[in-house]
Amino acid sequence: MKEEQKTEKKENADFFKKVEALGLKQAQLEEMLYTMYLIRRFERMADQLYAAGKVHGTMHLSAGQEAVAVGLGLAVQDDDYLVNHHRGHGHFIAKGADVNLMMAEFLGKENGYCRGRGGSMHIADVEANNLGANGIVGGGFPLAMGAGLAVQMQKADQIVLGIFGDGSTNEGVFHESLNMAALWKLPVLFICENNKYGMSMDVEQVIAKLPIAQRADAYGIPWELVDGNDVVAVFDVMNKAVAHVRAGNGPYFVEAQTYRYFGHSKSDRNLYRSQEEIAAWREKDPIFRFRAALREANLITEETADELNEKANGVIESAVEFAENSPEPNVNTLMEYVYA
Amino acid sequence: MPTPFIMPKFDMDQETSRIINWVKKEGDPVSLDEVVLEVETDKVSIEVPAPASGILAGIQYSDGDEVPVTTVIAYILKDGETLADIQPETPTDTKTADTVEYQQKQVTIPEQKITPVAQRMAVAHQIDVGELVVAGKKITKADVEGFIAENQGNNGVLRLSATPAARRLGREKGIELAEIVGTGPGGRIQLADVLEYQKADASVTHKTAVVHNEHQPELISLEGMRLKIANRMQASFQEAPHISLSMEIDVSKLETLRHRLNRIATKEDQNKISMTALIVKVVAWALAKNRYLNSSLQGDVIKIWPDVNVGVAVALEEGLIVPVVRNADKKTVSVINSDIRNLVEKARQGNLELDDIRGGTFTISNLGMFGIHQFRAIINPPESAILAVGAVIRKPVVISDQDDIEVRPIMEITLSADHRVIDGAVAAYFLQDLANGLESPEILMY
Amino acid sequence: MPEMTYLEAIRSALQYEMRQDERVFIIGEDIGVYGGAFGATFGMLEEFGPERIRETPISEAGIMGAATGAALVGMRPVAELMFMDFVLLALDQLANQAGKARFMFGGKATVPLVVRMPGGSGSGAAAQHSQSLESILMHFPGIKVVNPSTAYDAKGLLLSAIRDPNPVVFVEHKLLYKTKGEVPEEEYTIPIGLADIKREGRDITVVANNIMVKKTLAVAEELAEEGIEVEVVDLRTMRPLDVGTITSSVKKTGRLLVVHEACQTGGWAGEIMAIVSAHDAFNYLDAPMRRLAGADVPIPYNRLLERAAVPQEEDIAREIRAIMSNKY
Repeated sequence: MKEEQKTEKKENADFFKKVEALGLKQAQLEEMLYTMYLIRRFERMADQLYAAGKVHGTMHLSAGQEAVAVGLGLAVQDDDYLVNHHRGHGHFIAKGADVNLMMAEFLGKENGYCRGRGGSMHIADVEANNLGANGIVGGGFPLAMGAGLAVQMQKADQIVLGIFGDGSTNEGVFHESLNMAALWKLPVLFICENNKYGMSMDVEQVIAKLPIAQRADAYGIPWELVDGNDVVAVFDVMNKAVAHVRAGNGPYFVEAQTYRYFGHSKSDRNLYRSQEEIAAWREKDPIFRFRAALREANLITEETADELNEKANGVIESAVEFAENSPEPNVNTLMEYVYA
Repeated sequence: MPTPFIMPKFDMDQETSRIINWVKKEGDPVSLDEVVLEVETDKVSIEVPAPASGILAGIQYSDGDEVPVTTVIAYILKDGETLADIQPETPTDTKTADTVEYQQKQVTIPEQKITPVAQRMAVAHQIDVGELVVAGKKITKADVEGFIAENQGNNGVLRLSATPAARRLGREKGIELAEIVGTGPGGRIQLADVLEYQKADASVTHKTAVVHNEHQPELISLEGMRLKIANRMQASFQEAPHISLSMEIDVSKLETLRHRLNRIATKEDQNKISMTALIVKVVAWALAKNRYLNSSLQGDVIKIWPDVNVGVAVALEEGLIVPVVRNADKKTVSVINSDIRNLVEKARQGNLELDDIRGGTFTISNLGMFGIHQFRAIINPPESAILAVGAVIRKPVVISDQDDIEVRPIMEITLSADHRVIDGAVAAYFLQDLANGLESPEILMY
Repeated sequence: MPEMTYLEAIRSALQYEMRQDERVFIIGEDIGVYGGAFGATFGMLEEFGPERIRETPISEAGIMGAATGAALVGMRPVAELMFMDFVLLALDQLANQAGKARFMFGGKATVPLVVRMPGGSGSGAAAQHSQSLESILMHFPGIKVVNPSTAYDAKGLLLSAIRDPNPVVFVEHKLLYKTKGEVPEEEYTIPIGLADIKREGRDITVVANNIMVKKTLAVAEELAEEGIEVEVVDLRTMRPLDVGTITSSVKKTGRLLVVHEACQTGGWAGEIMAIVSAHDAFNYLDAPMRRLAGADVPIPYNRLLERAAVPQEEDIAREIRAIMSNKY
């Protein structure tokens, strides 16, 4: 018992030191917790709206993976380009998207990010350099590489964040794009969000050699693994990776290992994994862990943490109100936006 | 080896013929001598019979095509033959593909006679004429209509094959397409068919368009022979400026002559001589003396024919037909008489052959039997004149310088002549000779 | 006006636009020293350097996606696929990404890219290097498809394509590369979406694209001597289709033949006929509409078989005569 307390105390001390070393201020830490709550609330609400029959299509929820989004979001510039996969709500929120417009898009409304044409799977905000989520697994690899090519030719200081799941790394374009990005030293940060399952397939069933990130070796791209449920660790790794890329050293590859609580999509009955496995990952819940660490290190009070959760709750509820009160697209505008 | 079907040559100086209409279509059964297509030379239009019995296939030319004579225009396939059996100079491979279809198709070769209109309707509606229930000895239009109404249903509304363009014009002009015989594949009505119909029937169409009548008119479709007559008469009347000259003829001597000849005929057990035969004889004699009346205007050339071939208009149910008495000027009255009898009989039977109706150089139309005193006829192209003969009426005439009046058999004749070829005086000379011959037939002995 | 080949006209357009718009760059396989498989970019590496004459690994999806990503971020890439057949490797990037980005993102993205690709048979390149796939590409909303038949049209249309704010598939035909025509040195554009009546005629409308235009024009001369006046409509742009030119011509002639090299089943001839069928022009048809298309067979290697697989001049002539004489 004493031993355990001692270890815990040491961990708390380490956490404090780490946070300090990373230069994370109190306000930033609170903001990180708040954003994680906000993402979790958004995903929970999405699930509820679906259950209430208010959502037309399917969706891919990222609850459980919030640390990756938030750790990354804090490490990048606002005008860096983002090319995302279809479980992307969290990354957009973490990069500063307006949850009202996201929710409106989620409900297919005219004033959503994509005027109701894209929905959950294709949320984008091109003006904010958010180049959109992709419904095609792996579809974003060449786009991220191409955006990197443009940035390089334009001699801009932005970088491109290419976020993708474990499953997509078995697509041919993964290899084509990594090769070309490495060949031309393009400013692309490849972020593999490994949540263990490609739909129902365990990474161990579909990838011949793990970890996934070691595939970057084939293209001479530096890589790193990180605990995707540890937001501070994610921030730490992303910080280094972003610096590497922005300095013109070419691409970098980060694999964040995490877990999704919800099924792949709304048709998923979780037949491929056990309740025990889900429960075990819930023990390592990124929000719970971060809040506990902050508490232990006396960096936040119980009350403040609860307030942040409540605040996130309120923001999401008002986002739903905004979305529900938003107009449907006019059917007469069906043919608009196909061509410029 | 399939029998080649060549474009026949009809006249010495003829180089080409234009196809007016394929009566039979690709894949139709045809029997020897059955009419397969209608063509026209620069002189006449002619129905061309099949050179053999079998299936018509490999048609090489379409309606409207100008084809050199002796060119192969189609083939007749006998049982088991295909177009592929044709040696050298075979048509293209697409035809071979078609042939397979013909072989597979069971076609009943009609044994019964069929009117041209009925035949065309049957083709247009893809009806196997062997299946028709026939009221008379010949298949008629009514038989085909009945069959269609029974088998194709739609409350008797005929399903027409017509191109969209033809349908549009029909709609725009208020033309019933059912009245038109199509010249397209399978009898499909083409735009040109509607335009042709509209042209031929312009006046009728205008009238029906303005007349408001609670009683619906009976509609008689302008087709087949009727359509041909309509077109020919209209063309003739429009192209040839007609002049008409009339004369009253005292036929006392002609009647006397007729009675005398008839006595001989009776004795020899021959048919009685008709007034028409006598008139043909005298007309032929007068034509030989007035050769401008025995001519055709073609382009800017007047062709004066050496032979005097007198056509005699015969009224049939389907319309007028003009069988020809050849070399009438060289024949005796009794030969002319039997020629006419034979031709009229053949016409009534629908058995006239090409040779019976082509090559006329002058036409006589006699409506006397209907009590018509006088009328003007329209020239039968490409001829230059026609004689309209009225009834013989007994009426008082002044017969002497002392104004003595006597009742005589009088027949009024009216000559219509193409003024482009025949001046009034020329026509008058002819009429004078004709009157002399008719009033004093003995002078023909000279 | 100088005469140049179709290939030179394409190069001339590329050079012109790269000189005056620094956002334009070319990306593709073997386009540098080699000059591209057919020589379209020959000599351009010297003038524009390896940044803008961007040679790639053999990664068609990568090329297509790189162009799409770069276009989303403000560049005007011109991608080259060595053969049209290879667009199938890049189709996700072209159809799902480039073609849909604008719409999916509510009209807030623009994807100004061109992807050039030589199609067509006749060079003995066999089944995987000879296809005409424009029918497939026309199917995707968000993409424009052009296919010039002459050197003049090639230059004018390529300049329009590069300046167009949408993804434009620019289909070239291998057998047209060496054909010559008068092409102005200076700049001119031909609007995308405009068909061109290459020959006027009263009897029958033949709608064709790229090399079939050339073949049909030759046939039209021959048929004119027989008294058949063929109107040849060169679509030039496959999407968006110039419906007005097609239907006006059909209304004028009353007959329609559509000729394309692409395989018949699912080929674009069906689209043209469907358009006419549903249009007032239908009421002017005096014969069934017909199509003459590539056989539903992969392009064979053997010269005779290859020739037989796609419409040739004699086939076009035969088909026109058949329609004119109502014998099909």
